[in-house]
Amino acid sequence: MVTKTEETELNQFEIQVENGGGGAWEYLCLVRKLKLRRSEKVLKHGSSILNDPRKRSALGPDEWTLNEQVAIAAMDCQCLDVAQKCIKVLQKKFPGSKRVGRLEALLLEAKGLWGEAEEAYSSLLEDNPLDQAIHKRRVAISKALGKPSIAIELLNKYLQLFMADHDAWKELAELYLSLQMYKQAAFCYEELILSQPIVPLYHLAYADVLYTIGGIENLISARKYYAATIDLTGGKNTRALLGICLCASAIAQLSKGRNKEDKDATAALELHSLAAAAVEKEYKQKVPAKLQLVSSVLRSLKI
Amino acid sequence: MNLGFVVGVIGVLILSHAAYSTIQYRGLLKIMEEEFSRPPMNVLLELIVGLALCMWAALTFPGKFLSIHPDSDENRTVSLPDSSEFMIFNHRGRLFPPQIDMKF
Repeated sequence: MVTKTEETELNQFEIQVENGGGGAWEYLCLVRKLKLRRSEKVLKHGSSILNDPRKRSALGPDEWTLNEQVAIAAMDCQCLDVAQKCIKVLQKKFPGSKRVGRLEALLLEAKGLWGEAEEAYSSLLEDNPLDQAIHKRRVAISKALGKPSIAIELLNKYLQLFMADHDAWKELAELYLSLQMYKQAAFCYEELILSQPIVPLYHLAYADVLYTIGGIENLISARKYYAATIDLTGGKNTRALLGICLCASAIAQLSKGRNKEDKDATAALELHSLAAAAVEKEYKQKVPAKLQLVSSVLRSLKI
Repeated sequence: MNLGFVVGVIGVLILSHAAYSTIQYRGLLKIMEEEFSRPPMNVLLELIVGLALCMWAALTFPGKFLSIHPDSDENRTVSLPDSSEFMIFNHRGRLFPPQIDMKF
Protein backbone atom coordinates (compact mmCIF):
# COMPACT_ATOMS: atom_id res chain seq x y z
CA MET A 1 0.00 0.00 0.00
CA VAL A 2 1.42 3.29 -1.00
CA THR A 3 0.49 5.97 1.51
CA LYS A 4 0.30 9.66 0.74
CA THR A 5 3.54 10.58 2.52
CA GLU A 6 5.34 7.76 0.71
CA GLU A 7 3.94 8.97 -2.59
CA THR A 8 5.15 12.54 -2.07
CA GLU A 9 8.54 11.23 -0.96
CA LEU A 10 8.75 9.05 -4.07
CA ASN A 11 7.87 11.94 -6.37
CA GLN A 12 10.46 14.15 -4.70
CA PHE A 13 13.12 11.50 -5.13
CA GLU A 14 12.13 10.97 -8.73
CA ILE A 15 12.42 14.66 -9.57
CA GLN A 16 15.71 14.91 -7.70
CA VAL A 17 17.21 11.89 -9.41
CA GLU A 18 15.96 12.84 -12.87
CA ASN A 19 17.53 16.28 -12.61
CA GLY A 20 20.94 14.90 -11.80
CA GLY A 21 20.93 15.24 -8.04
CA GLY A 22 22.15 12.28 -5.96
CA GLY A 23 19.95 9.81 -4.14
CA ALA A 24 19.59 7.20 -6.87
CA TRP A 25 20.18 4.36 -4.42
CA GLU A 26 17.52 5.67 -2.00
CA TYR A 27 15.08 5.98 -4.89
CA LEU A 28 15.76 2.40 -5.94
CA CYS A 29 15.31 1.17 -2.37
CA LEU A 30 12.00 3.02 -2.10
CA VAL A 31 10.75 1.57 -5.38
CA ARG A 32 11.75 -1.90 -4.21
CA LYS A 33 10.04 -1.42 -0.84
CA LEU A 34 6.78 -0.15 -2.34
CA LYS A 35 6.91 -2.80 -5.10
CA LEU A 36 6.23 -0.28 -7.85
CA ARG A 37 6.77 -0.79 -11.53
CA ARG A 38 9.04 2.06 -12.65
CA SER A 39 11.10 0.03 -15.05
CA GLU A 40 12.63 2.73 -17.24
CA LYS A 41 13.87 4.84 -14.34
CA VAL A 42 15.08 1.83 -12.38
CA LEU A 43 16.96 0.62 -15.44
CA LYS A 44 18.56 3.98 -16.14
CA HIS A 45 19.68 4.77 -12.61
CA GLY A 46 20.40 1.20 -11.57
CA SER A 47 22.62 0.58 -14.56
CA SER A 48 24.43 3.88 -13.96
CA ILE A 49 25.22 2.67 -10.42
CA LEU A 50 26.30 -0.76 -11.65
CA ASN A 51 28.50 0.68 -14.40
CA ASP A 52 30.52 2.71 -11.90
CA PRO A 53 32.86 0.35 -10.02
CA ARG A 54 33.25 2.74 -7.10
CA LYS A 55 29.52 3.02 -6.47
CA ARG A 56 29.11 -0.70 -7.01
CA SER A 57 31.62 -1.62 -4.32
CA ALA A 58 30.08 1.00 -2.00
CA LEU A 59 26.85 -1.03 -2.01
CA GLY A 60 28.37 -4.12 -0.47
CA PRO A 61 25.99 -7.10 -0.29
CA ASP A 62 23.12 -5.02 -1.69
CA GLU A 63 24.81 -5.18 -5.09
CA TRP A 64 23.14 -8.51 -5.83
CA THR A 65 19.65 -7.23 -4.98
CA LEU A 66 20.32 -4.30 -7.27
CA ASN A 67 21.39 -6.71 -10.01
CA GLU A 68 18.11 -8.57 -9.63
CA GLN A 69 16.09 -5.37 -9.67
CA VAL A 70 17.87 -4.03 -12.74
CA ALA A 71 17.51 -7.40 -14.50
CA ILE A 72 13.74 -7.39 -14.03
CA ALA A 73 13.48 -3.74 -15.08
CA ALA A 74 15.57 -4.46 -18.17
CA MET A 75 13.27 -7.32 -19.11
CA ASP A 76 10.30 -5.02 -18.75
CA CYS A 77 11.93 -2.46 -21.05
CA GLN A 78 13.00 -5.19 -23.49
CA CYS A 79 16.75 -4.52 -23.03
CA LEU A 80 17.45 -8.23 -23.04
CA ASP A 81 21.25 -8.02 -23.26
CA VAL A 82 21.37 -5.90 -20.10
CA ALA A 83 19.18 -8.46 -18.38
CA GLN A 84 21.37 -11.30 -19.64
CA LYS A 85 24.50 -9.62 -18.29
CA CYS A 86 22.97 -9.02 -14.85
CA ILE A 87 21.78 -12.63 -14.66
CA LYS A 88 25.23 -13.90 -15.68
CA VAL A 89 26.82 -11.85 -12.88
CA LEU A 90 24.33 -13.33 -10.41
CA GLN A 91 24.92 -16.86 -11.73
CA LYS A 92 28.65 -16.49 -11.20
CA LYS A 93 28.11 -15.36 -7.63
CA PHE A 94 25.30 -17.78 -6.67
CA PRO A 95 25.61 -20.91 -8.80
CA GLY A 96 22.69 -23.32 -8.62
CA SER A 97 20.41 -20.86 -6.85
CA LYS A 98 16.64 -21.21 -7.24
CA ARG A 99 16.17 -17.45 -7.24
CA VAL A 100 18.59 -17.07 -10.16
CA GLY A 101 16.85 -20.01 -11.87
CA ARG A 102 13.58 -18.09 -11.59
CA LEU A 103 15.23 -15.04 -13.16
CA GLU A 104 16.48 -17.14 -16.05
CA ALA A 105 13.00 -18.50 -16.69
CA LEU A 106 11.70 -14.92 -16.50
CA LEU A 107 14.21 -13.97 -19.18
CA LEU A 108 12.85 -16.77 -21.39
CA GLU A 109 9.39 -15.29 -20.87
CA ALA A 110 10.61 -11.83 -21.82
CA LYS A 111 12.17 -13.24 -25.00
CA GLY A 112 8.78 -14.67 -25.92
CA LEU A 113 9.83 -18.32 -25.67
CA TRP A 114 6.73 -19.39 -23.79
CA GLY A 115 7.24 -23.15 -24.24
CA GLU A 116 10.76 -23.13 -22.84
CA ALA A 117 9.69 -20.84 -20.00
CA GLU A 118 6.86 -23.21 -19.09
CA GLU A 119 9.30 -26.15 -19.10
CA ALA A 120 11.76 -24.25 -16.93
CA TYR A 121 9.02 -23.45 -14.43
CA SER A 122 7.80 -27.05 -14.34
CA SER A 123 11.30 -28.31 -13.64
CA LEU A 124 11.70 -25.69 -10.89
CA LEU A 125 8.34 -26.76 -9.48
CA GLU A 126 9.45 -30.38 -9.28
CA ASP A 127 12.15 -29.40 -6.83
CA ASN A 128 9.91 -27.23 -4.67
CA PRO A 129 6.21 -27.70 -5.47
CA LEU A 130 5.05 -25.04 -3.04
CA ASP A 131 6.91 -22.07 -4.50
CA GLN A 132 4.38 -19.25 -4.69
CA ALA A 133 6.26 -17.11 -7.17
CA ILE A 134 6.52 -19.89 -9.75
CA HIS A 135 2.80 -20.63 -9.61
CA LYS A 136 2.12 -16.97 -10.17
CA ARG A 137 4.48 -16.82 -13.14
CA ARG A 138 2.62 -19.70 -14.77
CA VAL A 139 -0.58 -17.68 -14.41
CA ALA A 140 1.24 -14.73 -15.96
CA ILE A 141 2.33 -16.86 -18.93
CA SER A 142 -1.29 -17.84 -19.64
CA LYS A 143 -2.27 -14.21 -19.30
CA ALA A 144 0.44 -13.15 -21.75
CA LEU A 145 -0.63 -15.79 -24.25
CA GLY A 146 -4.10 -14.28 -24.22
CA LYS A 147 -5.83 -17.22 -22.51
CA PRO A 148 -7.53 -15.64 -19.52
CA SER A 149 -9.72 -18.67 -18.84
CA ILE A 150 -6.69 -20.91 -18.33
CA ALA A 151 -5.10 -18.20 -16.21
CA ILE A 152 -8.27 -18.07 -14.08
CA GLU A 153 -8.24 -21.85 -13.66
CA LEU A 154 -4.59 -21.89 -12.57
CA LEU A 155 -5.13 -18.95 -10.24
CA ASN A 156 -8.15 -20.63 -8.64
CA LYS A 157 -6.08 -23.75 -7.96
CA TYR A 158 -3.32 -21.59 -6.50
CA LEU A 159 -5.78 -19.75 -4.25
CA GLN A 160 -7.12 -23.02 -2.89
CA LEU A 161 -3.63 -23.60 -1.50
CA PHE A 162 -2.70 -20.06 -0.53
CA MET A 163 -5.92 -18.36 0.45
CA ALA A 164 -4.31 -15.38 2.15
CA ASP A 165 -2.49 -13.98 -0.89
CA HIS A 166 -3.97 -10.55 -1.50
CA ASP A 167 -2.16 -9.89 -4.76
CA ALA A 168 -3.53 -13.11 -6.19
CA TRP A 169 -7.11 -12.23 -5.22
CA LYS A 170 -6.65 -8.80 -6.79
CA GLU A 171 -5.30 -10.35 -9.98
CA LEU A 172 -8.18 -12.82 -10.09
CA ALA A 173 -10.67 -9.96 -9.71
CA GLU A 174 -9.05 -8.08 -12.58
CA LEU A 175 -9.07 -11.19 -14.78
CA TYR A 176 -12.77 -11.71 -14.10
CA LEU A 177 -13.46 -8.07 -14.87
CA SER A 178 -11.62 -8.37 -18.17
CA LEU A 179 -13.98 -11.23 -19.04
CA GLN A 180 -16.99 -9.27 -17.71
CA MET A 181 -17.78 -11.92 -15.09
CA TYR A 182 -18.84 -9.28 -12.59
CA LYS A 183 -20.36 -11.52 -9.93
CA GLN A 184 -17.16 -13.52 -9.57
CA ALA A 185 -15.13 -10.30 -9.49
CA ALA A 186 -17.42 -9.04 -6.74
CA PHE A 187 -16.71 -12.23 -4.77
CA CYS A 188 -12.94 -11.63 -5.09
CA TYR A 189 -13.29 -8.06 -3.87
CA GLU A 190 -15.41 -9.29 -0.94
CA GLU A 191 -12.54 -11.60 0.05
CA LEU A 192 -10.13 -8.68 -0.15
CA ILE A 193 -12.37 -6.45 1.96
CA LEU A 194 -12.75 -9.20 4.56
CA SER A 195 -9.01 -9.64 4.91
CA GLN A 196 -8.03 -5.95 4.77
CA PRO A 197 -11.01 -3.79 5.72
CA ILE A 198 -8.92 -0.66 6.26
CA VAL A 199 -7.77 -0.28 2.67
CA PRO A 200 -10.31 2.06 1.01
CA LEU A 201 -9.41 1.10 -2.55
CA TYR A 202 -10.95 -2.35 -2.20
CA HIS A 203 -14.22 -0.81 -1.01
CA LEU A 204 -14.07 1.54 -3.98
CA ALA A 205 -13.47 -1.24 -6.49
CA TYR A 206 -16.25 -3.35 -4.95
CA ALA A 207 -18.65 -0.41 -5.16
CA ASP A 208 -17.69 0.10 -8.81
CA VAL A 209 -18.42 -3.56 -9.60
CA LEU A 210 -21.77 -3.44 -7.78
CA TYR A 211 -22.71 -0.26 -9.62
CA THR A 212 -21.83 -1.97 -12.91
CA ILE A 213 -23.96 -5.03 -12.17
CA GLY A 214 -26.90 -2.74 -11.51
CA GLY A 215 -30.29 -3.44 -9.97
CA ILE A 216 -31.63 -1.51 -7.05
CA GLU A 217 -30.22 -3.61 -4.18
CA ASN A 218 -26.77 -3.54 -5.74
CA LEU A 219 -27.01 0.21 -6.22
CA ILE A 220 -27.92 0.71 -2.57
CA SER A 221 -24.98 -1.49 -1.50
CA ALA A 222 -22.70 0.37 -3.90
CA ARG A 223 -23.73 3.63 -2.29
CA LYS A 224 -22.89 2.20 1.13
CA TYR A 225 -19.44 1.13 -0.02
CA TYR A 226 -18.75 4.49 -1.66
CA ALA A 227 -19.69 6.06 1.66
CA ALA A 228 -17.30 3.66 3.45
CA THR A 229 -14.51 4.71 1.08
CA ILE A 230 -15.18 8.37 1.82
CA ASP A 231 -15.09 7.58 5.52
CA LEU A 232 -11.75 5.79 5.25
CA THR A 233 -10.07 8.42 3.11
CA GLY A 234 -11.44 11.46 4.94
CA GLY A 235 -13.29 12.66 1.85
CA LYS A 236 -10.18 12.98 -0.29
CA ASN A 237 -11.21 10.41 -2.89
CA THR A 238 -13.07 12.21 -5.70
CA ARG A 239 -14.11 8.97 -7.35
CA ALA A 240 -16.09 7.88 -4.32
CA LEU A 241 -17.83 11.27 -4.09
CA LEU A 242 -18.83 11.11 -7.74
CA GLY A 243 -19.89 7.50 -7.21
CA ILE A 244 -22.37 8.60 -4.56
CA CYS A 245 -23.88 11.21 -6.88
CA LEU A 246 -24.22 8.66 -9.70
CA CYS A 247 -25.69 6.01 -7.40
CA ALA A 248 -28.22 8.44 -5.97
CA SER A 249 -29.38 9.49 -9.41
CA ALA A 250 -29.55 5.88 -10.66
CA ILE A 251 -31.54 4.79 -7.59
CA ALA A 252 -33.93 7.69 -8.05
CA GLN A 253 -34.49 6.71 -11.67
CA LEU A 254 -35.08 3.05 -10.85
CA SER A 255 -37.45 3.70 -7.97
CA LYS A 256 -39.66 6.26 -9.69
CA GLY A 257 -42.71 4.04 -9.61
CA ARG A 258 -42.12 2.46 -6.21
CA ASN A 259 -42.78 4.06 -2.84
CA LYS A 260 -39.53 4.60 -0.94
CA GLU A 261 -39.48 4.91 2.83
CA ASP A 262 -39.20 8.53 3.78
CA LYS A 263 -36.15 8.38 6.02
CA ASP A 264 -34.04 6.59 3.45
CA ALA A 265 -34.99 9.15 0.81
CA THR A 266 -34.10 12.16 2.97
CA ALA A 267 -30.75 10.62 4.01
CA ALA A 268 -30.00 9.85 0.38
CA LEU A 269 -30.84 13.38 -0.70
CA GLU A 270 -28.63 14.89 1.97
CA LEU A 271 -25.75 12.54 1.13
CA HIS A 272 -26.07 13.37 -2.55
CA SER A 273 -26.02 17.13 -2.04
CA LEU A 274 -23.10 16.92 0.41
CA ALA A 275 -21.09 14.78 -2.01
CA ALA A 276 -21.84 17.16 -4.89
CA ALA A 277 -20.74 20.14 -2.80
CA ALA A 278 -17.49 18.35 -1.85
CA VAL A 279 -16.74 17.53 -5.50
CA GLU A 280 -17.30 21.14 -6.54
CA LYS A 281 -15.08 22.40 -3.74
CA GLU A 282 -12.28 20.08 -4.75
CA TYR A 283 -12.52 21.07 -8.42
CA LYS A 284 -12.53 24.74 -7.47
CA GLN A 285 -9.33 24.17 -5.53
CA LYS A 286 -7.42 22.03 -7.99
CA VAL A 287 -8.79 22.58 -11.51
CA PRO A 288 -10.91 25.77 -11.58
CA ALA A 289 -11.00 25.70 -15.38
CA LYS A 290 -13.22 22.63 -15.38
CA LEU A 291 -15.50 23.74 -12.55
CA GLN A 292 -18.32 24.82 -14.85
CA LEU A 293 -18.34 21.49 -16.67
CA VAL A 294 -18.48 19.58 -13.42
CA SER A 295 -21.24 21.81 -12.01
CA SER A 296 -23.42 21.28 -15.04
CA VAL A 297 -22.92 17.50 -14.88
CA LEU A 298 -23.78 17.43 -11.19
CA ARG A 299 -26.88 19.55 -11.82
CA SER A 300 -28.10 17.07 -14.44
CA LEU A 301 -27.62 14.29 -11.87
CA LYS A 302 -29.77 15.97 -9.26
CA ILE A 303 -32.81 13.96 -8.18
CA MET B 1 15.87 11.06 24.18
CA ASN B 2 18.57 11.15 26.77
CA LEU B 3 16.78 13.75 28.90
CA GLY B 4 13.59 11.68 28.88
CA PHE B 5 15.50 8.60 29.96
CA VAL B 6 17.26 10.41 32.81
CA VAL B 7 14.00 11.99 34.01
CA GLY B 8 12.33 8.58 33.88
CA VAL B 9 15.06 7.03 35.99
CA ILE B 10 14.78 9.89 38.53
CA GLY B 11 10.99 9.43 38.62
CA VAL B 12 11.31 5.69 39.29
CA LEU B 13 13.88 6.35 42.02
CA ILE B 14 11.57 8.90 43.69
CA LEU B 15 8.66 6.43 43.60
CA SER B 16 10.75 3.65 45.10
CA HIS B 17 11.98 6.02 47.79
CA ALA B 18 8.38 6.95 48.58
CA ALA B 19 7.48 3.25 48.82
CA TYR B 20 10.41 2.62 51.19
CA SER B 21 9.38 5.59 53.35
CA THR B 22 5.81 4.29 53.57
CA ILE B 23 7.03 0.86 54.66
CA GLN B 24 9.25 2.43 57.31
CA TYR B 25 6.33 4.62 58.48
CA ARG B 26 4.12 1.55 58.85
CA GLY B 27 6.84 -0.13 60.85
CA LEU B 28 7.00 2.93 63.09
CA LEU B 29 3.22 2.89 63.55
CA LYS B 30 3.31 -0.81 64.43
CA ILE B 31 5.77 -0.02 67.20
CA MET B 32 3.58 2.83 68.43
CA GLU B 33 0.46 0.61 67.96
CA GLU B 34 -1.54 3.10 65.95
CA GLU B 35 -3.82 2.71 62.93
CA PHE B 36 -2.33 3.17 59.47
CA SER B 37 -4.70 5.41 57.57
CA ARG B 38 -2.55 7.10 54.96
CA PRO B 39 1.12 7.87 54.42
CA PRO B 40 2.49 11.19 55.75
CA MET B 41 2.17 14.39 53.72
CA ASN B 42 5.74 14.51 52.50
CA VAL B 43 5.45 10.98 51.11
CA LEU B 44 2.25 11.97 49.30
CA LEU B 45 4.01 14.97 47.81
CA GLU B 46 6.88 12.73 46.76
CA LEU B 47 4.40 10.35 45.11
CA ILE B 48 2.80 13.14 43.09
CA VAL B 49 6.19 14.45 41.95
CA GLY B 50 7.34 10.92 41.01
CA LEU B 51 4.09 10.35 39.07
CA ALA B 52 4.51 13.57 37.10
CA LEU B 53 8.15 12.82 36.22
CA CYS B 54 7.42 9.24 35.15
CA MET B 55 4.47 10.30 32.99
CA TRP B 56 6.52 12.99 31.27
CA ALA B 57 9.35 10.52 30.61
CA ALA B 58 6.95 7.83 29.31
CA LEU B 59 5.57 10.26 26.75
CA THR B 60 8.92 11.72 25.69
CA PHE B 61 11.26 8.73 25.73
CA PRO B 62 9.71 6.37 23.12
CA GLY B 63 9.94 9.00 20.38
CA LYS B 64 7.46 10.03 17.72
CA PHE B 65 4.01 8.52 18.08
CA LEU B 66 2.45 6.96 14.96
CA SER B 67 -0.83 8.24 13.62
CA ILE B 68 -3.90 6.01 13.98
CA HIS B 69 -6.36 7.97 11.84
CA PRO B 70 -7.05 5.98 8.67
CA ASP B 71 -7.35 9.20 6.71
CA SER B 72 -4.17 10.93 7.88
CA ASP B 73 -1.45 11.38 5.30
CA GLU B 74 0.77 8.66 6.75
CA ASN B 75 -1.97 6.05 6.71
CA ARG B 76 -4.08 7.00 3.75
CA THR B 77 -3.62 4.46 0.95
CA VAL B 78 -3.27 6.38 -2.28
CA SER B 79 -2.55 3.51 -4.61
CA LEU B 80 -2.05 -0.19 -4.36
CA PRO B 81 1.30 -1.72 -5.33
CA ASP B 82 1.49 -2.75 -8.98
CA SER B 83 1.24 -6.53 -9.09
CA SER B 84 4.82 -7.17 -10.10
CA GLU B 85 4.49 -10.91 -9.55
CA PHE B 86 1.98 -11.16 -12.37
CA MET B 87 3.54 -8.66 -14.73
CA ILE B 88 3.75 -9.61 -18.37
CA PHE B 89 6.36 -8.42 -20.81
CA ASN B 90 4.52 -8.41 -24.12
CA HIS B 91 3.14 -4.90 -23.82
CA ARG B 92 3.48 -2.11 -26.33
CA GLY B 93 6.49 -0.66 -24.50
CA ARG B 94 8.73 -3.43 -25.75
CA LEU B 95 8.91 -1.74 -29.13
CA PHE B 96 10.77 1.24 -27.64
CA PRO B 97 13.73 -0.08 -25.65
CA PRO B 98 15.85 2.68 -24.10
CA GLN B 99 19.51 2.82 -25.13
CA ILE B 100 21.52 1.50 -22.22
CA ASP B 101 25.08 0.19 -22.50
CA MET B 102 26.55 -1.93 -19.78
CA LYS B 103 30.25 -1.73 -19.17
CA PHE B 104 30.70 -4.54 -16.69
